[in-house]
Amino acid sequence: MSNSLLNLIVKEIKELVRDPKILLGVILMPLLIFPIMGSAISISQKSVEKALISASFAVYDEDGGPAAEALLSFLEANNTVIPIDAPALEDALRAFQETDASSLLYIRDGYSENVSRGLKGRVKLYANLRSLTIAETGSTEVINSLLNVYGYYFSLARIRQLLTEAGESADPDAVRSPLSISYASVIKGNVLEVHPQAIFGLIMSQSIMLPIMMMIMLMFAIQMAATSIAIEKEQKTLETLMTLPVGRMTILTGKLAGSIVVAVAGAAAYMVGFGYYMNSAFGFAPEMTSMSLGDAGLGLQPLGFLLLGIVIFVTLVSGLALAISLAVFTDNVRSAQSLTGFLTIPVIIPAIILMFTDLEMLPPAVRWALLVIPYTHSIVASKAAFLGNYAVVAGSIAYITAFTVAVLYTAARIFSTERVITARIRSFSLRELLHKR
Amino acid sequence: MEYAIEARGLVKSFGNVLALNGCSFTVGEGEVFGLIGPNGAGKTTTLRIVGTILKPTSGSVEVFDVDVVRSPDEVREMISYLPEEAGAYQNLSGDEYLRFMAGFYTDSGGEKEMVEEGERISGLGERLRDRVKGYSKGMKRRLLLARALMVKPRLAILDEPTSGLDVVHAYHVRRMIKDYVKEHGVTVLLSSHNMLEVEFLCDQVVLINEGTIVAEGRPDELKGRYGAENLEQVFMEVTRLE
Repeated sequence: MSNSLLNLIVKEIKELVRDPKILLGVILMPLLIFPIMGSAISISQKSVEKALISASFAVYDEDGGPAAEALLSFLEANNTVIPIDAPALEDALRAFQETDASSLLYIRDGYSENVSRGLKGRVKLYANLRSLTIAETGSTEVINSLLNVYGYYFSLARIRQLLTEAGESADPDAVRSPLSISYASVIKGNVLEVHPQAIFGLIMSQSIMLPIMMMIMLMFAIQMAATSIAIEKEQKTLETLMTLPVGRMTILTGKLAGSIVVAVAGAAAYMVGFGYYMNSAFGFAPEMTSMSLGDAGLGLQPLGFLLLGIVIFVTLVSGLALAISLAVFTDNVRSAQSLTGFLTIPVIIPAIILMFTDLEMLPPAVRWALLVIPYTHSIVASKAAFLGNYAVVAGSIAYITAFTVAVLYTAARIFSTERVITARIRSFSLRELLHKR
Repeated sequence: MEYAIEARGLVKSFGNVLALNGCSFTVGEGEVFGLIGPNGAGKTTTLRIVGTILKPTSGSVEVFDVDVVRSPDEVREMISYLPEEAGAYQNLSGDEYLRFMAGFYTDSGGEKEMVEEGERISGLGERLRDRVKGYSKGMKRRLLLARALMVKPRLAILDEPTSGLDVVHAYHVRRMIKDYVKEHGVTVLLSSHNMLEVEFLCDQVVLINEGTIVAEGRPDELKGRYGAENLEQVFMEVTRLE
């Protein structure tokens, strides 16, 4: 590396890292904010869990028969029950609102009679939504689950009794649910004894991070590079650089390389912060931690990891080159930022669409429109790297690289002419464009 | 005779705007040469063409017999350019800025000497350890001028070197230029709309208005020719703006 290039890269990194906005926004923010967010979610989830465990519910037994009493005994054995004694439902509801319970189980009159006659016993659940929190709905879910469990065992006992009366021998559970269904998933030729929904949930929970990460990293990088060029133009330091005994391509490369170093540091900080966030915020959910992508044969292999690195690198270079090429047409930071703001559209759209769906599921016109955008390939390639579809990754890298070469060529052309100094877009807003038109 | 600058029939247009309309002048080696004129006269465009930033629409410029369009890299080895109202990198210290700039002209051996020269010229002392963002306008200008001169260029191109500075800083900057030229014999091409400054600094001047040279000569000679007390009166006389 030539001295001049190294000199430019070191200067660029110092300038960017010492800028409090960049230091805070790109590096410190992800390292601080994500863990704080994660801890906050974790604390609130734990308090919800605690609230659910200690949840109590009220019961208004209008029936008073033996079947209702059996149900009540079951509930009392499994949770704290507040019995409500009232002449009518309206009074019971009023009394219920004065208790701490967030749910009321109303056992209607005739419940025991219905049950004894082989009909459905009718009950009703009232949820008191005082503060509209997750804990309140959770408490209704708790009593609902208890009722389902009670219903299940009650039906098994009844089936057993009927079978005995009929003189037949059979498994009451098999009579109740005659089909036993098990699931397996076939991935990359391997049969895994795992429910496809679990695999899908796992991939979604981890692959959803990629589009988000790619989007945020690119947007940071684009804004950073555009601002950096605009400051150089505003301060006329670029004009000075153009008269130094150093090649224009060296200046451009120095700018790109410096921005890439900072953007990669930002991406690393983001990954660390986001990883901590995912662990602390969702660590309580056992289904997410019981299996990793590696267990499912979907983890990043060394080649996939290398290719993913290349994808991130070429994506960053293309975004930075595009931002720099556009920012040279502005003469101040504000107009550079509004101009590059438009660049975030092709970054955000594929990220959002591919977060929820796959390219193959889209109508052909939309799919091809998305495929023209290089940043679609960044996300497609990231997912493919996880799934081990290296041909797709290589194709995407080739496309992004071709796009990057075209943009770099344009940037180099602009840098080698006087347009780098004379080009002017004073402001860039849709309103003004429409007004001009 | 080898000229430091030889400009012939310079024309420069930006779209429909004609910034320079056939300017020709020569600058002798070791001279301090001033371009005088109002805002928009074409001074900065001329300096940018000599500084290899812009290309003339027609005409030519040679710096020490090297064509600025055909061999810009060779020209950049000989010149040092200070744009009007330029800034420095806000998050670098004054010292770091000088070291950064010296890195393009010399290896690590000569860098120390060059930076020390820059520190001496700037006269900013301990303030060079501070970040540029804390500098006043005058301090920034002194740092930038020190940067332009510390590399000992054969030709220094200074666009409005004292523009927007208070009396004290403007005086200091003029002294920096005058002393440096006396000490090292470099050629200086500067632009200014401050006629008194030009009289103080320049051996030779051209008066430029609306892209055309309207008069040229030594300051005393021009004053004598138009019976004026100073260059301001000369300018008003030749452009008949009065």
